[in-house]
Amino acid sequence: MEATFLLTLLITFLASFIGYELISKIPQTLHTPLMSGSNAISGITLIAAILIYPEVGESQLLKIIVLIAIAFATLNIVGGFSVTGRILEMFKKND
Amino acid sequence: MIEIILLVSSILFIFALKLFGRPSTAHRANTFAMLAMALAVFSAFNFDFSKYDSAFYITIVVSGLLGVLISKRVQMTQMPELVGLFNGFGGGASGAIAYVELSGNSLPISDVFVAIFSMVIGMFTFSGSLVAVMKLRGKLNNFSKKLADIFSVFLPTIIVIPAVLEMDDLLIEFIILVAIIAGVIRVAVIGGADMPVVIAFLNSLSGIAAMSAGFIVNSIILIVAGALVGASGIILTLLMCAAMNRTLLDVLKGGFGGTVINNEYEKDPVSTSPEDVAIQLSYAESVVIVPGYGMAVAQAQAAVKELTNTLKDKNIEVKFAIHPVAGRMPGHMNVLLAEVDIDYEDMFTLEDINSEFSSTDVVIVLGANDVVNPLARTDEDSPIYGMPILDVDLAKQVIVIKRSMSPGYAGIANPLFVNDNAKMLFADAKEGLENIIKSFELV
Repeated sequence: MEATFLLTLLITFLASFIGYELISKIPQTLHTPLMSGSNAISGITLIAAILIYPEVGESQLLKIIVLIAIAFATLNIVGGFSVTGRILEMFKKND
Repeated sequence: MIEIILLVSSILFIFALKLFGRPSTAHRANTFAMLAMALAVFSAFNFDFSKYDSAFYITIVVSGLLGVLISKRVQMTQMPELVGLFNGFGGGASGAIAYVELSGNSLPISDVFVAIFSMVIGMFTFSGSLVAVMKLRGKLNNFSKKLADIFSVFLPTIIVIPAVLEMDDLLIEFIILVAIIAGVIRVAVIGGADMPVVIAFLNSLSGIAAMSAGFIVNSIILIVAGALVGASGIILTLLMCAAMNRTLLDVLKGGFGGTVINNEYEKDPVSTSPEDVAIQLSYAESVVIVPGYGMAVAQAQAAVKELTNTLKDKNIEVKFAIHPVAGRMPGHMNVLLAEVDIDYEDMFTLEDINSEFSSTDVVIVLGANDVVNPLARTDEDSPIYGMPILDVDLAKQVIVIKRSMSPGYAGIANPLFVNDNAKMLFADAKEGLENIIKSFELV
């Protein structure tokens, strides 16, 4: 997905704005799952790791560093969503 | 095709946030976000899975399984540590990617700056989060603030070292080192009860690091998702700061709390017994429970639920008043109460419940201290002056369950404890509640 730099900036601004508007409305009672959920989303940096992994070249050191990044990000995504699901399940029961 | 998948993914992320707005729909939000994430990650492969070797796939599978294992095992009282740890992983991953991009390819100059930014933020988040986790586990005492300040001033200057010694190729490594040490020092000086701010702030930084990594690899979905996380963290950070009437800068400066400033009382507190509390409660029509970090430490949630049931069976109204910074992370108390099946409809925020205290028969303060200290309203010299507090002193009767008269995080005496309408039940939160419940059976 390529775009000009200005367009990218615009998207960044819009995403931050929508995020700010929607997240401001989330009640205090859900702030912990919000944090663990956004934790999971910050693992999206896995995409960057996937994109650069085939291009690392010969260096074993750099390859290992990317693998560490992959491990961290995957842990973040899987663990984050899983624990958020567990928490939200506790709130669901009360309906 | 890839573009369409990414478009769907971005829309799903935004819908997920929308659904997160209500407790009843929030579990669906998680499913939406997971789907969005799966699509985004899938798209990164660009339908070419053969470019990746077995080391790659093994890493993904093993760390994924580890993630599931950790998330199933973790106790709800350990959530602040877990979120702290994951903040660190997210930041560390983005920082590592930025490092690889900086040392591997010849990036265009504009990307070099973004990459350095991402690397510094990521590594700072990584080391800062690990220190935060250690603090939350009580494994690290407050670092000397003076020493930290001296460090902070001299730290950036060590970047000059490789330049002076003509080791230009080590410059990036030196920057990483500085970022890591800065993260350690910054978080080390901040006290335990300020952790809600720190955790929220590091959460935001992990999003910002991911967002800037998105700029380097030209991935719009990475930028969008990173920005959402960054925004979420900033909102929570500001909410937490407002709830303490302090600025972010003031919190990050550290050195607040943890030392006893003044713990003198003009008169002796009136202590009470579990039996008397049970009698008092059985005559009440409305009860408000104020949980604090002490409830989490004593693992008293189940006892809270039991007492709530006992009271509700007697047609006594029970509500929970939760201060925004109670506990060690935003929403910490709510999750602990939800875990024992307390209805979220019974949990009230400071704004929603403060006007009700004057008509409340009995307030039980359970392991909370500074957030119910009336000096925040009256004493201009107090370190907590101006902080919004739960006005429990206005209630008809107040029971404080606490092990001793020791001060809270702010290190000051709490005149609530010797108020005419207040009695102290000297006990650990769990033990105190259990004794009250036992006494009920005898009443």
